[in-house]
Amino acid sequence: MLDRILDPTGLSVRPANVAVPARRLPSLAGARVGLLNNTKRNAAQLLTELGDLLRDRYGAVVTIQRTKPHVAFPVDEPTLKEIAAVSDVVITGVGDCGSCSASAAADGIAFERVGVPAAVIVSDAFEVTARAMAGVHGDENFEILLTPHPVAVLNEEQIAERATQLVADVAGRVCEPAR
Amino acid sequence: MTGGTLDAQVTDPLDGAHRSIEYMYDQGWTDGLPVVPATRELVDTFLATTSRPADEVIGRLDHLKREVSVELAAINAAMAGCRPEYFPVVLAAWDALMAERSTVGGGWQSTSGPAPLIVVNGPVRRRLGFNATGGVFGPGFRANATVARAIGLIVRNGLGVVPHVLEQATQGVPGRWAMCVAENEEESPWEPLSVDGGVAAGVDAVSTTLLRTSEFVDNRHTDDPEALLGDFADTISRTGSWIFRHASAGVVFCPEHAQMLAAAGMSKADVRDWLIERCGRSEADLARAGKNHVHGNVRRQSDDGEPGAFHRYFADGAPKNLPIVVAGARNAGISMVVRVFSNWSGISARVEPPRDGAAPAAP
Repeated sequence: MLDRILDPTGLSVRPANVAVPARRLPSLAGARVGLLNNTKRNAAQLLTELGDLLRDRYGAVVTIQRTKPHVAFPVDEPTLKEIAAVSDVVITGVGDCGSCSASAAADGIAFERVGVPAAVIVSDAFEVTARAMAGVHGDENFEILLTPHPVAVLNEEQIAERATQLVADVAGRVCEPAR
Repeated sequence: MTGGTLDAQVTDPLDGAHRSIEYMYDQGWTDGLPVVPATRELVDTFLATTSRPADEVIGRLDHLKREVSVELAAINAAMAGCRPEYFPVVLAAWDALMAERSTVGGGWQSTSGPAPLIVVNGPVRRRLGFNATGGVFGPGFRANATVARAIGLIVRNGLGVVPHVLEQATQGVPGRWAMCVAENEEESPWEPLSVDGGVAAGVDAVSTTLLRTSEFVDNRHTDDPEALLGDFADTISRTGSWIFRHASAGVVFCPEHAQMLAAAGMSKADVRDWLIERCGRSEADLARAGKNHVHGNVRRQSDDGEPGAFHRYFADGAPKNLPIVVAGARNAGISMVVRVFSNWSGISARVEPPRDGAAPAAP
């Protein structure tokens, strides 16, 4: 009887998505870092601080900084290609709203798929939606880096502090585990 | 649990109905209230009301890898409790929604948790029993209640935007998935909203826009049209709803207010022009709310600026920034300011006429 009830989701006919993680780097020394800012308040500052710390502490170099044209959507193909062409690793964020946290996870998976390891930074208030989106894009176990909510109201000093707290995790996310 | 084993257990049809309802809860397909089981036979009666093919894609969110077909919309409309003949109205409401900038962006996932206001115009209101008068914001009327609910179920099930997961509303909006009003064209002194949306008067049409809330204006206190409009301007101009340089708001006028303004010689455009000029706040008022400076397009706090400067609420007097509808009973001067999420698309969608010329009677 119950098998006569139609499924209202359309999911039964959806093709499965498979995510392909990128190879991790042996080290960040000399590595080219791309920064993808999603336009949320303080995102650009946090990414810039992280870029500076990766340079100072790990010897990486920031080669490109781009801003997403639409905060709610995953990165567009031309921007993805432009960044991937000159980056060995990418940092993106900050997921700090309903749609942008989800799309940040999709961005990370998209960069991994083209061979660029990605560190995705999301406010911890949006962890569930970011993880759900990672599942939609084929990798429900995609590792997201969380920072405490809120981010938008922090001042310059507090943003720098957040970057300091995050930088080792960012490096760990894109590099091979130390032997 | 398979259908076969259950069939063996179910001897009482009402027991079967209860089990169906629980099954659909278990699947995560409901908005919290019971839904109607959509069988092939039932859904086919919905599909028979439209000339559109079942597999036509009528909405998609590529970033969520989801799309909605006519068939999926019909399944959800059946689950929502719609009668089959409501389905062309559901499709028109959906078409109108897809013309909204926010619904094809990240609007459904937004922390602001917006909700569609659906406005029905034309003879379809009477043909299908849509309420246009007393208690127009509901509940109590099947057509109004189930069309609005169908849209919510399509977003939940078809687009996969489920609360606490991909839907991230901080609090949401009272009346979400429940706001479908028919315009009281019979007692309105003005052209229907659908005319502002590009559809001729007298043609069945649906308009939608996303709201963040609604707030009443109770004014049975004056016979001066400017004093009345001043009351609306005060409510519209609150700082809480004001995020960007400008904001939008609509008014659902009760017949009494609309008729009073029309008797003073005001058209809808005149009402809009009056409100556009006067809605807004002083720099000092906005500074007290931390919103006196515009950076990019977003309001922020600033110590600079002229305290006496006046900031206009609306960008301009286009109907898409200040949609006006007339609905409700003619029994009191009680109207509603509706807080528009971004702005109205300004596009109304036609409702497909009944097929074979047979108009079913209202229930």
